[in-house]
Amino acid sequence: MGTVASTLEVYKSQLKSDMEVLKPDFDAPSLSIPIFSSRVQAGFPSPADDHLEDQLDLNKHLIHHQEATFFVRAQGESMLNAGIHPGDILIVDKSLPAKSGKIVIAVVDGEFTVKRLYKYKGKVSLKAENPEFKDIEINEGSELIIWGVVTSVIHQYV
Amino acid sequence: MSKPNQQKFALVDCNNFYASCERVFDPKLAREPIVVLSNNDGCVIARSNEAKSLGIKMGTPYYQVKDLIIDKSVVVKSSNYPLYGDMSSRVMKVISQYSPVQEVYSIDESFIDLTGFTINLNTHMQALKNQVKSWTGIPVCVGMGSTKVRAKLANRIAKIYPRFNGVFDIDSLPNDRFKKLLNSVEVAEIWGIGRKSAQKLEQIGINTAFDFYKADIGIIETLLGVNGKRIYRELYGHSCLAIEEIPPARKQIVSSRSFGLDLSDFDEINQALTSLTRRAVSKLNSQSLATTSMSVFIYTNPFKKNTPCINLSKTIGMSAPINDEGLLIPLCSKLLKQIYEPGYKFYKGGVMLGNLTSDKNQQDLFAVGQNRTELKKHPYGNTLRYASELGNDRWLPRAEFQSNRFTTCWGELLIV
Repeated sequence: MGTVASTLEVYKSQLKSDMEVLKPDFDAPSLSIPIFSSRVQAGFPSPADDHLEDQLDLNKHLIHHQEATFFVRAQGESMLNAGIHPGDILIVDKSLPAKSGKIVIAVVDGEFTVKRLYKYKGKVSLKAENPEFKDIEINEGSELIIWGVVTSVIHQYV
Repeated sequence: MSKPNQQKFALVDCNNFYASCERVFDPKLAREPIVVLSNNDGCVIARSNEAKSLGIKMGTPYYQVKDLIIDKSVVVKSSNYPLYGDMSSRVMKVISQYSPVQEVYSIDESFIDLTGFTINLNTHMQALKNQVKSWTGIPVCVGMGSTKVRAKLANRIAKIYPRFNGVFDIDSLPNDRFKKLLNSVEVAEIWGIGRKSAQKLEQIGINTAFDFYKADIGIIETLLGVNGKRIYRELYGHSCLAIEEIPPARKQIVSSRSFGLDLSDFDEINQALTSLTRRAVSKLNSQSLATTSMSVFIYTNPFKKNTPCINLSKTIGMSAPINDEGLLIPLCSKLLKQIYEPGYKFYKGGVMLGNLTSDKNQQDLFAVGQNRTELKKHPYGNTLRYASELGNDRWLPRAEFQSNRFTTCWGELLIV
Protein backbone atom coordinates (compact mmCIF):
# COMPACT_ATOMS: atom_id res chain seq x y z
CA MET A 1 0.00 0.00 0.00
CA GLY A 2 1.29 3.47 -0.82
CA THR A 3 0.11 6.65 0.84
CA VAL A 4 -0.48 10.06 -0.54
CA ALA A 5 -0.38 12.39 2.45
CA SER A 6 -1.68 15.53 0.90
CA THR A 7 -3.27 16.28 -2.38
CA LEU A 8 -2.95 19.48 -4.30
CA GLU A 9 -6.18 21.35 -4.29
CA VAL A 10 -7.16 24.22 -6.49
CA TYR A 11 -8.75 27.13 -4.75
CA LYS A 12 -10.47 29.53 -7.02
CA SER A 13 -11.45 32.97 -5.93
CA GLN A 14 -14.88 33.06 -7.37
CA LEU A 15 -15.79 36.67 -7.03
CA LYS A 16 -14.24 38.95 -9.59
CA SER A 17 -10.60 38.53 -8.61
CA ASP A 18 -8.69 37.20 -11.57
CA MET A 19 -6.11 35.34 -9.54
CA GLU A 20 -5.98 31.72 -8.62
CA VAL A 21 -3.99 30.53 -5.63
CA LEU A 22 -2.64 27.01 -5.58
CA LYS A 23 -1.71 25.39 -2.31
CA PRO A 24 -1.54 21.95 -0.78
CA ASP A 25 -4.52 20.91 1.28
CA PHE A 26 -3.04 19.93 4.62
CA ASP A 27 -6.38 18.73 5.96
CA ALA A 28 -6.79 16.23 3.16
CA PRO A 29 -7.37 12.75 4.48
CA SER A 30 -4.51 10.43 3.73
CA LEU A 31 -5.56 8.34 0.82
CA SER A 32 -4.46 4.75 0.65
CA ILE A 33 -3.81 3.58 -2.86
CA PRO A 34 -3.93 -0.13 -3.32
CA ILE A 35 -0.97 -1.36 -5.31
CA PHE A 36 -0.81 -4.97 -6.43
CA SER A 37 -3.34 -5.84 -3.79
CA SER A 38 -4.09 -9.23 -5.30
CA ARG A 39 -1.39 -11.75 -5.76
CA VAL A 40 -0.51 -12.50 -9.26
CA GLN A 41 0.66 -16.02 -9.40
CA ALA A 42 -1.77 -18.37 -7.70
CA GLY A 43 -5.35 -18.92 -6.71
CA PHE A 44 -8.47 -17.08 -7.73
CA PRO A 45 -8.07 -13.30 -7.88
CA SER A 46 -10.85 -11.54 -6.04
CA PRO A 47 -13.38 -10.47 -8.66
CA ALA A 48 -14.00 -7.29 -6.66
CA ASP A 49 -10.45 -6.04 -7.15
CA ASP A 50 -11.23 -4.80 -10.61
CA HIS A 51 -14.01 -2.62 -9.28
CA LEU A 52 -12.31 -0.73 -6.47
CA GLU A 53 -13.93 2.66 -6.06
CA ASP A 54 -14.12 5.45 -3.53
CA GLN A 55 -16.63 5.09 -0.74
CA LEU A 56 -19.59 7.41 -1.02
CA ASP A 57 -19.42 10.50 1.13
CA LEU A 58 -22.69 12.35 1.68
CA ASN A 59 -20.84 15.50 2.72
CA LYS A 60 -19.06 15.62 -0.62
CA HIS A 61 -22.30 14.94 -2.43
CA LEU A 62 -24.37 17.57 -0.66
CA ILE A 63 -21.90 20.29 0.34
CA HIS A 64 -20.01 22.20 -2.32
CA HIS A 65 -18.86 25.24 -0.40
CA GLN A 66 -17.99 24.02 3.07
CA GLU A 67 -17.25 27.43 4.58
CA ALA A 68 -20.53 28.86 3.28
CA THR A 69 -22.79 25.95 4.20
CA PHE A 70 -25.08 26.03 7.23
CA PHE A 71 -27.72 23.66 8.53
CA VAL A 72 -31.09 25.14 9.41
CA ARG A 73 -34.14 23.44 10.90
CA ALA A 74 -37.49 24.07 9.21
CA GLN A 75 -40.67 24.79 11.10
CA GLY A 76 -44.21 25.29 9.81
CA GLU A 77 -45.93 23.82 6.77
CA SER A 78 -45.73 26.62 4.22
CA MET A 79 -43.30 24.66 2.04
CA LEU A 80 -44.89 21.19 2.28
CA ASN A 81 -45.36 20.85 -1.48
CA ALA A 82 -41.67 21.52 -2.01
CA GLY A 83 -40.96 18.56 0.26
CA ILE A 84 -40.03 20.60 3.33
CA HIS A 85 -41.73 19.25 6.45
CA PRO A 86 -41.64 20.67 9.96
CA GLY A 87 -38.45 19.51 11.69
CA ASP A 88 -36.54 18.81 8.48
CA ILE A 89 -32.94 19.94 8.22
CA LEU A 90 -32.20 22.27 5.33
CA ILE A 91 -28.75 22.52 3.80
CA VAL A 92 -28.17 26.18 3.04
CA ASP A 93 -25.38 27.56 0.87
CA LYS A 94 -24.74 31.25 1.44
CA SER A 95 -22.36 31.55 -1.49
CA LEU A 96 -24.90 30.84 -4.24
CA PRO A 97 -26.58 33.67 -6.16
CA ALA A 98 -30.25 34.15 -5.30
CA LYS A 99 -31.80 33.36 -8.66
CA SER A 100 -35.51 33.45 -9.34
CA GLY A 101 -37.11 30.06 -8.73
CA LYS A 102 -34.68 28.98 -6.00
CA ILE A 103 -35.82 28.06 -2.53
CA VAL A 104 -34.18 30.57 -0.22
CA ILE A 105 -33.77 31.48 3.40
CA ALA A 106 -34.95 35.07 3.36
CA VAL A 107 -34.98 37.75 5.99
CA VAL A 108 -38.02 40.02 5.69
CA ASP A 109 -37.90 42.98 8.05
CA GLY A 110 -35.63 41.08 10.39
CA GLU A 111 -37.64 37.81 10.41
CA PHE A 112 -36.40 34.54 8.90
CA THR A 113 -38.55 32.62 6.46
CA VAL A 114 -38.04 29.86 3.89
CA LYS A 115 -39.87 30.41 0.59
CA ARG A 116 -39.42 30.17 -3.14
CA LEU A 117 -38.00 33.38 -4.60
CA TYR A 118 -39.64 34.96 -7.63
CA LYS A 119 -38.31 37.94 -9.51
CA TYR A 120 -40.48 39.16 -12.34
CA LYS A 121 -40.46 42.55 -14.11
CA GLY A 122 -38.73 44.25 -11.24
CA LYS A 123 -41.10 42.79 -8.65
CA VAL A 124 -39.89 40.42 -6.00
CA SER A 125 -42.06 37.95 -4.12
CA LEU A 126 -41.62 34.99 -1.83
CA LYS A 127 -43.97 32.15 -2.69
CA ALA A 128 -45.19 29.52 -0.28
CA GLU A 129 -45.49 25.96 -1.57
CA ASN A 130 -48.79 25.26 0.15
CA PRO A 131 -52.11 26.77 -1.02
CA GLU A 132 -53.10 27.45 2.58
CA PHE A 133 -50.33 30.00 2.92
CA LYS A 134 -50.12 33.48 1.43
CA ASP A 135 -47.23 34.61 -0.69
CA ILE A 136 -45.17 37.52 0.57
CA GLU A 137 -44.92 40.47 -1.81
CA ILE A 138 -41.93 42.62 -1.17
CA ASN A 139 -43.13 46.20 -1.36
CA GLU A 140 -41.25 49.42 -1.09
CA GLY A 141 -40.43 50.13 2.50
CA SER A 142 -39.93 46.54 3.53
CA GLU A 143 -36.46 45.10 3.61
CA LEU A 144 -35.53 41.78 2.03
CA ILE A 145 -32.20 40.04 2.55
CA ILE A 146 -31.49 36.68 0.95
CA TRP A 147 -29.57 34.85 3.68
CA GLY A 148 -28.81 31.74 1.66
CA VAL A 149 -30.02 29.29 -0.96
CA VAL A 150 -31.49 25.94 0.15
CA THR A 151 -29.70 23.20 -1.77
CA SER A 152 -31.17 20.08 -0.12
CA VAL A 153 -33.58 18.99 2.54
CA ILE A 154 -32.97 16.13 4.93
CA HIS A 155 -36.17 14.42 5.99
CA GLN A 156 -35.61 11.58 8.43
CA TYR A 157 -38.25 8.86 8.72
CA VAL A 158 -36.74 6.98 11.62
CA MET B 1 0.51 47.00 -8.38
CA SER B 2 3.43 46.76 -5.98
CA LYS B 3 6.97 47.75 -6.85
CA PRO B 4 9.48 44.97 -7.43
CA ASN B 5 11.41 43.87 -4.36
CA GLN B 6 8.85 45.50 -2.12
CA GLN B 7 7.07 43.28 0.31
CA LYS B 8 3.36 43.55 0.74
CA PHE B 9 1.23 42.35 3.61
CA ALA B 10 -2.48 42.57 4.25
CA LEU B 11 -4.22 42.39 7.58
CA VAL B 12 -7.79 41.16 7.34
CA ASP B 13 -9.74 42.06 10.47
CA CYS B 14 -13.37 41.21 11.17
CA ASN B 15 -15.54 44.17 12.15
CA ASN B 16 -16.79 43.76 15.74
CA PHE B 17 -16.45 40.01 15.29
CA TYR B 18 -18.50 38.64 18.22
CA ALA B 19 -21.34 41.08 17.62
CA SER B 20 -21.23 40.28 13.90
CA CYS B 21 -21.49 36.53 14.61
CA GLU B 22 -24.61 37.19 16.70
CA ARG B 23 -26.09 39.26 13.86
CA VAL B 24 -25.63 36.52 11.24
CA PHE B 25 -28.11 34.34 13.11
CA ASP B 26 -30.37 37.13 14.33
CA PRO B 27 -30.71 39.73 11.57
CA LYS B 28 -33.07 41.79 13.75
CA LEU B 29 -29.95 42.90 15.59
CA ALA B 30 -28.48 44.47 12.43
CA ARG B 31 -28.65 48.04 13.67
CA GLU B 32 -29.09 47.44 17.40
CA PRO B 33 -26.38 48.15 19.95
CA ILE B 34 -24.93 44.83 21.14
CA VAL B 35 -22.53 43.96 23.95
CA VAL B 36 -21.03 40.53 24.52
CA LEU B 37 -20.08 39.52 28.07
CA SER B 38 -17.05 37.52 29.20
CA ASN B 39 -17.25 34.09 30.77
CA ASN B 40 -19.63 34.06 33.69
CA ASP B 41 -21.22 37.26 32.38
CA GLY B 42 -18.61 39.35 34.16
CA CYS B 43 -17.39 42.12 31.84
CA VAL B 44 -18.10 43.62 28.45
CA ILE B 45 -15.64 42.02 26.01
CA ALA B 46 -17.12 43.04 22.66
CA ARG B 47 -19.34 45.82 21.40
CA SER B 48 -21.07 46.72 18.18
CA ASN B 49 -20.37 50.20 16.80
CA GLU B 50 -23.73 51.37 18.18
CA ALA B 51 -22.74 50.20 21.68
CA LYS B 52 -19.36 51.89 21.32
CA SER B 53 -20.98 55.22 20.53
CA LEU B 54 -23.12 54.91 23.65
CA GLY B 55 -19.83 55.15 25.52
CA ILE B 56 -19.73 51.56 26.80
CA LYS B 57 -16.05 50.79 27.29
CA MET B 58 -14.22 47.54 26.74
CA GLY B 59 -13.71 45.53 29.93
CA THR B 60 -16.35 47.36 31.98
CA PRO B 61 -18.01 45.12 34.58
CA TYR B 62 -21.55 44.30 33.52
CA TYR B 63 -23.18 45.59 36.70
CA GLN B 64 -21.65 49.03 36.13
CA VAL B 65 -23.35 49.49 32.76
CA LYS B 66 -26.53 47.56 33.52
CA ASP B 67 -28.63 50.72 33.97
CA LEU B 68 -27.37 52.21 30.72
CA ILE B 69 -28.01 48.91 28.96
CA ILE B 70 -31.63 48.81 30.12
CA ASP B 71 -32.13 52.49 29.44
CA LYS B 72 -30.86 52.32 25.85
CA SER B 73 -32.23 48.80 25.15
CA VAL B 74 -28.78 47.42 24.43
CA VAL B 75 -28.84 43.75 23.42
CA VAL B 76 -26.77 41.66 25.84
CA LYS B 77 -25.20 38.34 24.84
CA SER B 78 -23.15 35.89 26.87
CA SER B 79 -20.06 34.84 24.95
CA ASN B 80 -20.73 31.87 22.69
CA TYR B 81 -17.27 30.52 21.89
CA PRO B 82 -18.41 27.40 20.02
CA LEU B 83 -20.19 29.69 17.56
CA TYR B 84 -17.41 32.30 17.34
CA GLY B 85 -14.76 29.59 16.88
CA ASP B 86 -16.64 27.91 14.04
CA MET B 87 -17.38 31.21 12.28
CA SER B 88 -13.72 32.18 12.68
CA SER B 89 -12.49 29.02 11.01
CA ARG B 90 -14.89 29.59 8.10
CA VAL B 91 -13.64 33.18 7.68
CA MET B 92 -9.99 32.08 7.88
CA LYS B 93 -10.51 29.39 5.22
CA VAL B 94 -12.08 31.86 2.82
CA ILE B 95 -9.19 34.31 3.42
CA SER B 96 -6.70 31.53 2.66
CA GLN B 97 -8.00 31.39 -0.90
CA TYR B 98 -6.40 34.76 -1.59
CA SER B 99 -2.76 34.08 -0.74
CA PRO B 100 -0.52 31.04 -0.41
CA VAL B 101 0.89 32.41 2.86
CA GLN B 102 -1.44 33.05 5.78
CA GLU B 103 -0.98 33.73 9.46
CA VAL B 104 -4.07 33.37 11.64
CA TYR B 105 -3.14 36.04 14.15
CA SER B 106 -6.19 35.86 16.40
CA ILE B 107 -9.79 34.65 16.34
CA ASP B 108 -10.75 37.58 14.12
CA GLU B 109 -7.52 38.73 12.44
CA SER B 110 -5.32 37.22 9.77
CA PHE B 111 -2.20 38.42 7.98
CA ILE B 112 -1.61 37.30 4.41
CA ASP B 113 1.43 37.82 2.22
CA LEU B 114 0.79 39.55 -1.10
CA THR B 115 4.44 40.05 -2.06
CA GLY B 116 5.09 39.63 -5.77
CA PHE B 117 1.45 39.63 -6.83
CA THR B 118 1.19 41.30 -10.23
CA ILE B 119 -2.55 41.83 -10.16
CA ASN B 120 -4.42 44.86 -8.87
CA LEU B 121 -4.28 44.31 -5.12
CA ASN B 122 -7.17 46.61 -4.34
CA THR B 123 -9.46 44.59 -6.61
CA HIS B 124 -8.10 41.35 -5.15
CA MET B 125 -8.80 42.49 -1.58
CA GLN B 126 -12.24 43.87 -2.47
CA ALA B 127 -13.04 40.42 -3.82
CA LEU B 128 -11.81 38.88 -0.55
CA LYS B 129 -13.93 41.27 1.49
CA ASN B 130 -17.02 40.54 -0.60
CA GLN B 131 -16.51 36.80 -0.55
CA VAL B 132 -16.08 36.61 3.23
CA LYS B 133 -19.26 38.67 3.65
CA SER B 134 -21.26 36.63 1.17
CA TRP B 135 -20.06 33.20 2.30
CA THR B 136 -20.10 33.70 6.06
CA GLY B 137 -22.06 36.89 6.69
CA ILE B 138 -19.13 38.44 8.55
CA PRO B 139 -17.99 41.94 7.49
CA VAL B 140 -14.22 42.50 7.30
CA CYS B 141 -11.81 45.33 6.55
CA VAL B 142 -8.44 44.94 4.86
CA GLY B 143 -5.34 47.04 5.47
CA MET B 144 -2.30 46.71 3.21
CA GLY B 145 1.26 47.86 3.69
CA SER B 146 4.88 46.98 3.03
CA THR B 147 5.20 45.70 6.63
CA LYS B 148 2.89 44.12 9.18
CA VAL B 149 2.97 47.25 11.37
CA ARG B 150 1.92 49.39 8.41
CA ALA B 151 -0.77 46.91 7.33
CA LYS B 152 -2.23 47.01 10.83
CA LEU B 153 -2.29 50.81 10.73
CA ALA B 154 -3.89 50.70 7.28
CA ASN B 155 -6.62 48.45 8.62
CA ARG B 156 -7.53 51.08 11.18
CA ILE B 157 -7.97 53.62 8.39
CA ALA B 158 -10.06 51.18 6.34
CA LYS B 159 -12.35 50.76 9.36
CA ILE B 160 -12.74 54.46 10.18
CA TYR B 161 -13.29 56.00 6.73
CA PRO B 162 -16.19 54.53 4.71
CA ARG B 163 -14.92 56.11 1.48
CA PHE B 164 -12.23 53.43 1.17
CA ASN B 165 -14.94 50.79 1.05
CA GLY B 166 -13.19 48.57 3.59
CA VAL B 167 -9.83 48.24 1.80
CA PHE B 168 -6.90 50.59 2.25
CA ASP B 169 -3.26 50.48 1.12
CA ILE B 170 -1.15 52.72 3.33
CA ASP B 171 1.78 52.67 0.88
CA SER B 172 -0.37 54.63 -1.56
CA LEU B 173 -0.42 57.59 0.84
CA PRO B 174 1.88 60.54 -0.02
CA ASN B 175 4.51 61.12 2.65
CA ASP B 176 2.97 64.29 4.08
CA ARG B 177 -0.44 62.64 4.43
CA PHE B 178 1.20 59.61 6.04
CA LYS B 179 2.85 61.86 8.64
CA LYS B 180 -0.44 63.64 9.28
CA LEU B 181 -2.07 60.29 9.83
CA LEU B 182 0.63 59.26 12.32
CA ASN B 183 -0.04 62.46 14.21
CA SER B 184 -3.61 61.39 14.83
CA VAL B 185 -2.63 57.99 16.25
CA GLU B 186 -1.54 57.50 19.84
CA VAL B 187 1.77 55.70 20.24
CA ALA B 188 0.08 52.93 22.24
CA GLU B 189 -2.04 52.15 19.21
CA ILE B 190 0.93 51.13 17.06
CA TRP B 191 0.92 47.36 16.72
CA GLY B 192 3.58 45.86 19.01
CA ILE B 193 3.81 48.82 21.42
CA GLY B 194 2.42 47.48 24.66
CA ARG B 195 1.07 49.52 27.54
CA LYS B 196 4.36 49.45 29.40
CA SER B 197 6.37 50.53 26.37
CA ALA B 198 3.88 53.31 25.72
CA GLN B 199 4.33 54.56 29.30
CA LYS B 200 8.11 54.63 28.87
CA LEU B 201 7.76 56.54 25.60
CA GLU B 202 5.29 59.03 27.05
CA GLN B 203 7.74 59.80 29.84
CA ILE B 204 10.17 61.20 27.28
CA GLY B 205 7.45 63.05 25.41
CA ILE B 206 6.66 60.54 22.70
CA ASN B 207 2.86 60.58 22.68
CA THR B 208 1.77 60.10 19.10
CA ALA B 209 2.84 57.66 16.42
CA PHE B 210 4.39 60.63 14.65
CA ASP B 211 6.55 61.45 17.69
CA PHE B 212 7.70 57.85 17.59
CA TYR B 213 8.34 58.01 13.84
CA LYS B 214 10.58 61.07 14.02
CA ALA B 215 12.40 59.97 17.19
CA ASP B 216 16.01 58.80 17.01
CA ILE B 217 16.31 55.06 16.41
CA GLY B 218 19.08 54.83 19.05
CA ILE B 219 16.80 56.25 21.73
CA ILE B 220 14.03 53.84 20.77
CA GLU B 221 16.44 50.90 20.95
CA THR B 222 17.80 51.98 24.33
CA LEU B 223 14.31 52.40 25.69
CA LEU B 224 12.48 49.42 24.18
CA GLY B 225 15.22 47.07 23.07
CA VAL B 226 15.42 45.23 19.80
CA ASN B 227 11.65 44.75 19.58
CA GLY B 228 11.05 48.48 19.69
CA LYS B 229 13.69 48.98 17.02
CA ARG B 230 11.95 46.43 14.80
CA ILE B 231 8.62 48.22 15.11
CA TYR B 232 10.32 51.54 14.34
CA ARG B 233 11.89 50.10 11.21
CA GLU B 234 8.59 48.47 10.22
CA LEU B 235 6.88 51.85 10.44
CA TYR B 236 9.45 53.15 7.91
CA GLY B 237 8.61 50.28 5.59
CA HIS B 238 11.48 47.88 6.29
CA SER B 239 9.91 44.50 6.92
CA CYS B 240 11.32 42.91 10.09
CA LEU B 241 8.39 40.79 11.21
CA ALA B 242 7.68 37.82 8.97
CA ILE B 243 4.41 35.99 8.56
CA GLU B 244 4.22 33.19 11.12
CA GLU B 245 2.39 30.41 9.40
CA ILE B 246 2.70 28.02 12.31
CA PRO B 247 1.73 29.49 15.65
CA PRO B 248 4.55 29.25 18.20
CA ALA B 249 4.23 26.31 20.57
CA ARG B 250 2.58 27.19 23.83
CA LYS B 251 4.56 27.25 27.01
CA GLN B 252 1.69 26.62 29.35
CA ILE B 253 -1.98 25.79 29.29
CA VAL B 254 -4.29 27.37 31.83
CA SER B 255 -7.88 26.33 32.30
CA SER B 256 -9.67 28.39 34.91
CA ARG B 257 -13.13 29.68 35.61
CA SER B 258 -15.14 31.83 37.93
CA PHE B 259 -17.70 29.48 39.41
CA GLY B 260 -21.38 30.21 38.82
CA LEU B 261 -21.66 30.80 42.57
CA ASP B 262 -19.32 30.56 45.52
CA LEU B 263 -18.43 26.97 46.45
CA SER B 264 -17.33 25.60 49.82
CA ASP B 265 -17.93 21.87 49.50
CA PHE B 266 -14.89 19.77 48.56
CA ASP B 267 -16.82 17.51 46.19
CA GLU B 268 -18.31 20.43 44.33
CA ILE B 269 -14.94 22.11 43.89
CA ASN B 270 -13.43 18.78 42.86
CA GLN B 271 -16.14 18.40 40.25
CA ALA B 272 -15.32 21.80 38.78
CA LEU B 273 -11.57 21.20 38.77
CA THR B 274 -11.91 17.74 37.21
CA SER B 275 -13.83 19.26 34.36
CA LEU B 276 -11.28 22.07 33.97
CA THR B 277 -8.43 19.55 34.01
CA ARG B 278 -10.13 17.53 31.30
CA ARG B 279 -10.41 20.68 29.21
CA ALA B 280 -6.74 21.52 29.76
CA VAL B 281 -5.66 17.99 28.84
CA SER B 282 -7.75 18.01 25.70
CA LYS B 283 -5.96 21.24 24.67
CA LEU B 284 -2.68 19.52 25.52
CA ASN B 285 -3.55 16.52 23.37
CA SER B 286 -4.84 18.54 20.44
CA GLN B 287 -1.41 20.19 20.20
CA SER B 288 0.47 16.93 20.73
CA LEU B 289 2.08 18.20 23.91
CA ALA B 290 2.91 16.66 27.27
CA THR B 291 3.38 18.36 30.62
CA THR B 292 5.89 17.98 33.42
CA SER B 293 4.28 20.26 35.97
CA MET B 294 0.79 20.81 37.22
CA SER B 295 -0.59 23.59 39.41
CA VAL B 296 -3.98 23.66 41.04
CA PHE B 297 -5.38 26.88 42.50
CA ILE B 298 -8.57 28.04 44.18
CA TYR B 299 -9.36 31.41 45.70
CA THR B 300 -12.04 33.46 47.33
CA ASN B 301 -13.39 36.68 45.92
CA PRO B 302 -10.92 39.40 46.96
CA PHE B 303 -13.51 42.14 46.33
CA LYS B 304 -16.13 40.73 48.63
CA LYS B 305 -16.11 42.54 51.94
CA ASN B 306 -16.65 40.96 55.37
CA THR B 307 -15.72 37.44 54.27
CA PRO B 308 -12.41 35.75 55.01
CA CYS B 309 -10.08 35.91 52.05
CA ILE B 310 -7.76 33.09 51.01
CA ASN B 311 -5.70 32.16 48.00
CA LEU B 312 -4.59 28.51 47.81
CA SER B 313 -2.38 26.80 45.28
CA LYS B 314 0.07 23.99 44.88
CA THR B 315 2.39 22.89 42.10
CA ILE B 316 3.84 19.46 41.50
CA GLY B 317 6.60 18.43 39.15
CA MET B 318 6.80 15.15 37.26
CA SER B 319 9.76 12.95 36.47
CA ALA B 320 8.55 12.27 32.93
CA PRO B 321 6.21 14.19 30.61
CA ILE B 322 2.57 13.10 30.89
CA ASN B 323 -0.28 13.68 28.46
CA ASP B 324 -2.81 11.16 29.76
CA GLU B 325 -5.90 12.52 31.45
CA GLY B 326 -6.24 9.22 33.30
CA LEU B 327 -3.12 10.21 35.23
CA LEU B 328 -3.59 13.96 35.39
CA ILE B 329 -7.15 13.99 36.76
CA PRO B 330 -6.38 11.94 39.91
CA LEU B 331 -3.33 14.15 40.37
CA CYS B 332 -5.53 17.25 40.31
CA SER B 333 -7.82 15.75 42.98
CA LYS B 334 -4.81 14.82 45.07
CA LEU B 335 -3.42 18.36 44.93
CA LEU B 336 -6.82 19.83 45.70
CA LYS B 337 -7.14 17.58 48.74
CA GLN B 338 -3.83 18.92 50.02
CA ILE B 339 -4.72 22.60 49.67
CA TYR B 340 -8.46 22.56 50.38
CA GLU B 341 -9.61 24.24 53.56
CA PRO B 342 -13.21 24.08 54.67
CA GLY B 343 -15.14 27.15 55.72
CA TYR B 344 -14.24 29.44 52.86
CA LYS B 345 -16.35 30.50 49.92
CA PHE B 346 -14.27 29.86 46.80
CA TYR B 347 -15.29 31.81 43.75
CA LYS B 348 -12.63 30.87 41.22
CA GLY B 349 -10.34 27.95 40.52
CA GLY B 350 -8.26 26.33 37.86
CA VAL B 351 -5.36 24.21 36.76
CA MET B 352 -2.18 25.09 34.93
CA LEU B 353 -0.05 22.66 32.95
CA GLY B 354 3.50 23.93 32.59
CA ASN B 355 6.87 22.97 31.09
CA LEU B 356 5.20 21.68 27.98
CA THR B 357 7.14 19.45 25.63
CA SER B 358 6.27 17.61 22.49
CA ASP B 359 4.68 14.25 23.31
CA LYS B 360 6.52 12.64 20.40
CA ASN B 361 9.66 11.91 22.43
CA GLN B 362 7.70 9.82 24.89
CA GLN B 363 8.40 6.13 24.75
CA ASP B 364 5.58 4.60 26.69
CA LEU B 365 5.39 1.00 25.58
CA PHE B 366 2.40 0.29 27.75
CA ALA B 367 0.38 3.22 26.50
CA VAL B 368 -3.18 3.06 27.70
CA GLY B 369 -6.16 5.19 26.93
CA GLN B 370 -6.62 4.35 23.27
CA ASN B 371 -10.31 3.62 23.73
CA ARG B 372 -10.84 6.68 25.82
CA THR B 373 -9.44 8.97 23.17
CA GLU B 374 -11.72 7.47 20.57
CA LEU B 375 -14.81 7.84 22.71
CA LYS B 376 -14.05 11.48 23.24
CA LYS B 377 -14.15 12.09 19.52
CA HIS B 378 -17.77 11.02 19.52
CA PRO B 379 -19.94 13.69 17.89
CA TYR B 380 -21.79 14.29 21.12
CA GLY B 381 -18.60 15.44 22.77
CA ASN B 382 -18.76 15.04 26.49
CA THR B 383 -20.08 11.46 26.40
CA LEU B 384 -17.48 10.10 28.73
CA ARG B 385 -16.84 11.94 31.93
CA TYR B 386 -14.93 11.15 35.06
CA ALA B 387 -16.87 10.12 38.11
CA SER B 388 -15.35 12.99 40.08
CA GLU B 389 -16.79 15.33 37.50
CA LEU B 390 -20.37 14.27 38.12
CA GLY B 391 -22.42 16.31 40.50
CA ASN B 392 -24.89 19.13 40.60
CA ASP B 393 -23.03 21.30 38.05
CA ARG B 394 -23.56 24.31 40.30
CA TRP B 395 -20.02 25.44 39.50
CA LEU B 396 -20.77 26.00 35.81
CA PRO B 397 -20.37 29.65 34.88
CA ARG B 398 -23.38 31.82 34.29
CA ALA B 399 -24.29 32.39 30.66
CA GLU B 400 -27.77 33.76 30.93
CA PHE B 401 -27.89 35.48 27.57
CA GLN B 402 -26.19 32.93 25.34
CA SER B 403 -27.40 32.46 21.79
CA ASN B 404 -27.63 28.97 20.32
CA ARG B 405 -24.59 27.04 19.13
CA PHE B 406 -26.06 27.32 15.63
CA THR B 407 -23.19 25.68 13.78
CA THR B 408 -21.86 23.05 16.16
CA CYS B 409 -24.87 21.43 17.81
CA TRP B 410 -27.74 19.60 16.06
CA GLY B 411 -30.17 20.49 18.81
CA GLU B 412 -29.50 24.21 18.48
CA LEU B 413 -29.80 24.87 14.75
CA LEU B 414 -31.28 28.08 13.41
CA ILE B 415 -35.06 27.58 13.09
CA VAL B 416 -36.79 29.05 10.05
